[in-house]
Amino acid sequence: MQIQRGSVIEVARGKRTVRRIPGQGLLDGMAVVWKHWQGSFRKNVSFSEIHGTFTMEYPEEYPKLPEAYRNMPILLYDEETGHELCTSCFQCERICPPQVIHMTQAKDPATGKAVPAVAEFVIEYDACMSCGFCAEVCPFDAIKMDHDFELSTADHQGLTVFKEQLNRPISYYERIAPTMWTEVRDGALKKLQGNIKRRPDVIGMAPNLAEKIAARRRELAAAAAAAPATPPPAAPAAPPTEARKLTPEEKAAKLAAIKAANAAKQAGETLPAAAPAPPADEKAARLAAIRANNAARQAGEAPAAAAPAEPTPATPADEKAARLAAIRANNAARQAGEAPAAAAPAAAAPPATAAEAAAEAAPVDEKAARLAAIRAKNAARKAAEQQGE
Amino acid sequence: MLKTEELQINIGPQHPSTHGVFRMLVTVDGETITDLKPVFGYLHRNHEQIAEQNTYLQNMPYTDRLDYFNSMANNHAYAMAVERLAGIEVPERAEYIRVLMVELTRILNHAGALGFLINDMGMWQTQLAFGMREREKILDLFESASGARLMCNYFRFGGVARDLPPDFLPRLKDLLIALPSFVDELERLLRENEILLQRSEGIGVLPRELALAYSVTGPVLRGSGVPYDVRKAEPYSVYDRFDFDVPVGTVGDVYDRFLVRVEEMRQSKRIIEQILEQLPDASGGHINPKARQNVRPPVGDTYARVESPKGELGFYLVSDGSGKPYRYKVRAPSFINLTPLGDMCRGYKVADVVVILGSIDIVMGEVDR
Repeated sequence: MQIQRGSVIEVARGKRTVRRIPGQGLLDGMAVVWKHWQGSFRKNVSFSEIHGTFTMEYPEEYPKLPEAYRNMPILLYDEETGHELCTSCFQCERICPPQVIHMTQAKDPATGKAVPAVAEFVIEYDACMSCGFCAEVCPFDAIKMDHDFELSTADHQGLTVFKEQLNRPISYYERIAPTMWTEVRDGALKKLQGNIKRRPDVIGMAPNLAEKIAARRRELAAAAAAAPATPPPAAPAAPPTEARKLTPEEKAAKLAAIKAANAAKQAGETLPAAAPAPPADEKAARLAAIRANNAARQAGEAPAAAAPAEPTPATPADEKAARLAAIRANNAARQAGEAPAAAAPAAAAPPATAAEAAAEAAPVDEKAARLAAIRAKNAARKAAEQQGE
Repeated sequence: MLKTEELQINIGPQHPSTHGVFRMLVTVDGETITDLKPVFGYLHRNHEQIAEQNTYLQNMPYTDRLDYFNSMANNHAYAMAVERLAGIEVPERAEYIRVLMVELTRILNHAGALGFLINDMGMWQTQLAFGMREREKILDLFESASGARLMCNYFRFGGVARDLPPDFLPRLKDLLIALPSFVDELERLLRENEILLQRSEGIGVLPRELALAYSVTGPVLRGSGVPYDVRKAEPYSVYDRFDFDVPVGTVGDVYDRFLVRVEEMRQSKRIIEQILEQLPDASGGHINPKARQNVRPPVGDTYARVESPKGELGFYLVSDGSGKPYRYKVRAPSFINLTPLGDMCRGYKVADVVVILGSIDIVMGEVDR
């Protein structure tokens, strides 16, 4: 039967080529298998052959990944100036389909105004779907997709990744994707130069570049000495680590801290005060704080954005919900911020209470903060949606 | 004939031959199937509801996860639906790249599906390994173009995410040299294999009328002798520019579906060769530069369908003028092709159930959504 640009063909079903002896079909098949077996001794054959192997002996051999390959997002910084490319424009946070990117904007401590730099940046790698939208939308080419695929870990918390672990130098990205970086390099660096001018003090510098930060501080101090001005407020010293995974020592320390906390909780008696708050709690608290902050921001934006667009006035229920969300978010942020700090003054108290406080306070606060953050976010979204309708 | 007591048994949900978490509630009389009820929903993950919470673009990577063998075809259907809704033009070159990717997807799907079918018949891994070997080459090409092997997320509204890399076409030409001999070898290995004939000839017959009544599509429908192919019935994209044939079966059994798939691989190769001829002359870039990705389509609804390797894949979208779809519905071919399973299996032996299921070629990610 003829159809447009082609025909309908019936598959040749009964038409056997030659019916020779019973079992001929099986023998023909065996011949094919034999050929494949012979071919298996030839390695690295081209695409045009159907026999031979192109397997590789991973992990001794590594696959040559194409430039476009994408696995997980990373953040870039410029080694020459020490500045991060990210300006916290929230584009990636908005587009992320599973909503795993969270960030807060850096603020100038002197004026309290927003600075084109990122203060905190979190990606929940465990829920990331590697779609690459964040890298596509980023107007500053600050977020890119990494080629590292060996991310397996026994530590689930470790898959919530913060800025320190996300930061990579530009040279790293240039190595894995040379042409893709060349295409955008000039524009990205030009934008970065413009942003550096608007970043006071050492805000926006990669925390692992301690020397760079120190050099910048000296520069600023020299400038301040030359011109009569208030010295820049000292920013907290950043840890000079870029460890992607916890080192065995850190892991051991963490385990020890958890064990100590548990022991203290159970016995409720004297113990050497477990000095550092467990990193897991701290991490969760930081994430909660960032989320709460963002929720507050969203809640704040929602009524403002809707007001001019909507002819009808916002219903009181919406307003209430938004306000409630904002308050909750604020509280959550405050609580979460206090949580790590709470351990510090407690250290002055008798050891038993200190240990108890560290053990008891952190999980409860963390839980509350997280819950509040989630609630705030949901309420804000609801409010925004209702406004949108 | 001796009457024996009927027995109800479960095949699945965790069973190596059910192609995912899928349960078949089988009533047997001795070895003979008297009734079969497909039970699914174990992999339900709220796809359509999630899609209504997301913006249009955010749904693109989610469609990859429907039929995870053929993410490109899913992308194509969804991108077409949104483009139709928002009135976005697609440049010619982008259309060619899209069709190229979808036809490669068809080849890799059939290479894999036939491997799994033979696997279900008991020829452990042999054909599957050969099929996967060819599939691997195509996945390498996908990786170099889109960045991922399975979850390609390559299509955008108005085109594709990025142009083909420079080494793509040479490698594709190498691949095309190998393809015909791969298909021929596959036929030599299996076509006259006595065991395959015993296991597939006259097994799982789906008569033409029944297939139409169940609105089955894809190779299963064509195996039953209905020459229906969305690429011919309603040529979308640039499919009206290619010569290709539609293979159909005569009986509608497992063997016909097997042969139809083998022939479809040949036809896909024909299409790709024509694409390679026409691609250099195609106008436009890989994406329409005016197309915005954060679309806000006007109020309305649309249905766009493509011939995915498994059958007619359609997306029904309703827009209320906002940035999110008001209603999002997937017409999944795997799901609809699975519904006549009970009728196809009745009267055959328990061992045939596995083969019949394999011949439908389902992916549970698409069935349950």
